[in-house]
Amino acid sequence: MKRYDLIVVGAGPAGLSAAIEAAKCGLQVIVFDENANPGGQLFKQVHKFFGSKEHKAKIRGFRIGEQLLVEANQLGVQVVLNATVAGLFQDKEITVRINDGIYHYKGDTIIVATGASENATAFEGWTLPGVIGAGAAQTMMNLHGIVPGSKVLMLGSGNVGLVVSYQLLQVGCEVVALADAAPRVGGYGVHAAKLTRTGVPFYLSHTIIKAEGSDCVTGVTIGAVDKAWKLIPGTEKHFAVDTICVAVGLSPMAQILSAAGCSMEESQSKGGYVPVCDEYGETSIAGVFVAGDVSGVEEASSAMIEGRIAGIAVAEYLGFIDKTVLTQKTLELESALSTLRQGMFAIENRGKILEKTDEGYDVSLHLLQKGYLTEEEVMQYPGVTKQQGVHAVIECSQNIPCNPCQDACPKQCIKVGDNITSLPVIDEAAVCIGCGLCVAACSGQAIFLVDENYEDGYASITLPYEFLPLPAKGNAGWALDRSGQKVCKAEVVKVNTASAFDRTNLLTIKVPVEMAMKARFFKGGDCHA
Amino acid sequence: MNARIIEHPILGKIEKGRLVEFSYNDTKLNGYEGEPISAALKAAGVMVHRHTQKQGAPRGVFCAIGRCTDCVMVVDGKANVRTCITPLTDGMIVQTQYGVSAKNHQGAEERS
Repeated sequence: MKRYDLIVVGAGPAGLSAAIEAAKCGLQVIVFDENANPGGQLFKQVHKFFGSKEHKAKIRGFRIGEQLLVEANQLGVQVVLNATVAGLFQDKEITVRINDGIYHYKGDTIIVATGASENATAFEGWTLPGVIGAGAAQTMMNLHGIVPGSKVLMLGSGNVGLVVSYQLLQVGCEVVALADAAPRVGGYGVHAAKLTRTGVPFYLSHTIIKAEGSDCVTGVTIGAVDKAWKLIPGTEKHFAVDTICVAVGLSPMAQILSAAGCSMEESQSKGGYVPVCDEYGETSIAGVFVAGDVSGVEEASSAMIEGRIAGIAVAEYLGFIDKTVLTQKTLELESALSTLRQGMFAIENRGKILEKTDEGYDVSLHLLQKGYLTEEEVMQYPGVTKQQGVHAVIECSQNIPCNPCQDACPKQCIKVGDNITSLPVIDEAAVCIGCGLCVAACSGQAIFLVDENYEDGYASITLPYEFLPLPAKGNAGWALDRSGQKVCKAEVVKVNTASAFDRTNLLTIKVPVEMAMKARFFKGGDCHA
Repeated sequence: MNARIIEHPILGKIEKGRLVEFSYNDTKLNGYEGEPISAALKAAGVMVHRHTQKQGAPRGVFCAIGRCTDCVMVVDGKANVRTCITPLTDGMIVQTQYGVSAKNHQGAEERS
């Protein structure tokens, strides 16, 4: 039986981060993961992350995964793949199944970072082939290069449902509708707005009545529900789809900990049955720590910080560093973690209806119910101003922890301030040079450059564009408004694919000047139709 | 619809392994070595992986990460192989699973 200073279960963002920090402190570390590839879900995440620089904001998830692997490798962390940890026993012994054999290992400490699994939900026809998890869709398209379906209905408006819907559009799927039984969009408004402006209709307070098909999904019927979640007769809507994606939350995978005898708790805010742990992630069993979604479902950014904290705490537990170093090293991490947990989507705000932002602006009900801001609503936010010449219009209306726009602007036009959940404010005294760095940096794709003086009678709008085929300069088509409706003809006047934008290409379109605050997306095609 | 993504707007050109031939029931299909069996099947338009033991109900991929076991098939004569996490190899024999075997005792195939 081999012995290690630290055994990490799970090579996702939390587990790898924990292994890296522990290895930096001199521990001999081994990581087991049941999958064929390390990185957990990071390699499926093709979107840019939120947060600030310290949280790796505006970097795409899969690139963060690559960075973690390089770091772990350099530090000599051993990662064993296709290795399922089957049990955690007395004295921190574990059994690992590799191929058809069972092997024993002993850790002086253990960090369990097993993550979470997707929830399913039952409706008539839910077992038909073609009903898939949203995570499954992400795995198929972003890991294996397979299009999950041609016409898709997404169930669930949390960030997973919204982000995966967008990713489906990126590989050419048609998302015919996004439905959620809840009365309000659960995820970030900016993620919702990215979908609605391409024309994806939102059906809040709607649930799936039935998936149709004999051998696989050929259609779906949804219907409206009342406040008691009861179906309202006569509200049925039918869609011809071949795929139904289910994004109804995640549950921590803590079975190995409860089987080992850890104190557990049922916590709604943490997403299910989770181990009780202290600020460093130590469970009721001394030397057994947890990090990431297994101890409460959040996101990869916070999982990585929790992992780092647990990795350092383990080093202190074994005497590799002393208590003062632990406190020093974790101080910054704790503050980075608490920053991510602020704002409207903080755990303590889950289920609450917030009517005002921290700054006192009205929260858009339209955004929560339909997935986009109305033109009247958008004008009130501090990132939206009317100016002569080119300027940024920031359609950011919720307090979420994010500030890459502030860092991106070379002319200090955008102020978020120290509190990164604050809404970005446009400083009208500073002069925008139209570089577009903020447009590409905004993880929520909520920034546009507007120039109402582009040409006589015409305005230009620069928007983020992450689809193929990429329109070319001179292409004609339609401008779509925030709801995805065609509002006017548009012409592409510039396409900027600078590598600094990391594949968020900037499309500049020309529209009649009265459309400057309406047009927010471009759809190529025949204008005579 | 071509189920294979040739170029992704963020990930760029999709790299694949060597093209290999495998058998699916009585037909020959192509897929890329090392990709999950389920990916090759999906690319070929196969949705039904198995029929349940009692009701013969069709099942396919649900979680795609080896957790739910809905996508199991008979692979190289072995039943209950999770096709979403088992890499495709040259000459693999993949069969629809009925209950826990490749034989359709209940006539589920005829019924569907």
